[in-house]
Amino acid sequence: MSLVVLGISEVHVSKMPGDILITYSLGSCIGVTMYDPELKLGGMIHYMLPLSKISPEKAAAKPAMFADTGVPVLLKKMYKMGAAKDRLVVKVAGGSQLMDQNKVFNIGERNYTVLRKILWKNNILINSEDVGGNLSRTLRLDIDTGLTTVKSSRGVQEL
Amino acid sequence: MNVKDQIIDKISSFPTLPTMANKLLGLLNDPDVTGSQISQIIQYDPALTANLMKAANSAYLGHTKRVSSISEAFFRLGTKWIFQMSVSSLIYSNMRRPVTGYDLSGEDLWRHSMAVALMSDILCKHLNLKEIGLIFTSGLLHDMGKIILGEFVSDSFDEIEAIVEKEKVPFEEAERRVLGIDHAEVGGLTAESWKFPATMVESIRWHHNPEGAGMPSQAIDLIHIADAVCMMQGLGIGKDGIHYRLNEGSITRLNITNQIMETATSQLVTALEEVDNIIKEIPAVEAVGRS
Repeated sequence: MSLVVLGISEVHVSKMPGDILITYSLGSCIGVTMYDPELKLGGMIHYMLPLSKISPEKAAAKPAMFADTGVPVLLKKMYKMGAAKDRLVVKVAGGSQLMDQNKVFNIGERNYTVLRKILWKNNILINSEDVGGNLSRTLRLDIDTGLTTVKSSRGVQEL
Repeated sequence: MNVKDQIIDKISSFPTLPTMANKLLGLLNDPDVTGSQISQIIQYDPALTANLMKAANSAYLGHTKRVSSISEAFFRLGTKWIFQMSVSSLIYSNMRRPVTGYDLSGEDLWRHSMAVALMSDILCKHLNLKEIGLIFTSGLLHDMGKIILGEFVSDSFDEIEAIVEKEKVPFEEAERRVLGIDHAEVGGLTAESWKFPATMVESIRWHHNPEGAGMPSQAIDLIHIADAVCMMQGLGIGKDGIHYRLNEGSITRLNITNQIMETATSQLVTALEEVDNIIKEIPAVEAVGRS
């Protein structure tokens, strides 16, 4: 088993048997996993902000920082390695907020809204998700099995 | 002795900040502080001087000509940077230890502290605020109360967590209910006992509750917002997670828009990477007990 740790603003795709993709401390950031069970091919992104227009140069250097530039990169990487859209299993975790945050600076909620729009435009459905609340989450994808889990203060659960 | 008294007792036995860091912090009260005043203090510390030179020559900064004196390092890096790095490096080993109770590795607390320091600095620039010299260091030390409170939190974690879950109150409020004091107050009292400038004491003390300070200040608001962003971004998060409040009053007073917030957040990651690159060049100084 080899652990591939994704930091903030990173994206990774693998079909290496034994690989585990993992990302820690998702607060308002969002982690998305995509998996093609037929090829045992999986990918993950950990993005921090919804839209790249606030800094096109940052987006050019680190597309995975933003949902609108990062999620397409993940999709392209998956397709390039042979993934088929109709087999893609997509799971989402993160998008938390602080307590009583309402709409003020709700980066978590905006991160989630933009993701839904991008996936909707690409005709991709979210299979399962664990988003919102005041939780810090760890997202993990097992490349061999496609098993996706979320760990938080509520314990470990399968997505 | 009740738990609160035990905690307060613990503050007085907490190792003091090295004399050098204290002297440097003392200079912060002087708006006309010059590079030569700072170098006069740090030149007596060979380890710190060596580390600063190493940092000034770090591959990251991309200069080919090497600096050979501390005054050249000042010229290259700027007084502010040298000051921040000196203080950071002196308290480095104090912050780089695991904190029980909150389940923070030595790396986590350091990372969170550095991120808040950088974020408060970035926000200052966006808001065109006049240089607030104490901000960076306040950010660096805002959570130091956790180092002392950690073992008490550890003993009562289940009780604290149960209150957070059931009553939906912020973690520091649950700390107060169970232990009689929270990590922000412990940090504030420690800063006071270290004779920190009042602005620093206040911004550490009220970083979760800026309205609690008799007079809200820009420094408190900035540390509060910077801390909130870094928690949201999951930078150095412990077992207390992000069970904290965002104070809207601070946002209104500083007039921070969504755009400023998001641009500053995007800059934070790069700033953190830059510091990581430079810090790699600076080995931990044996700060505690050296003076």
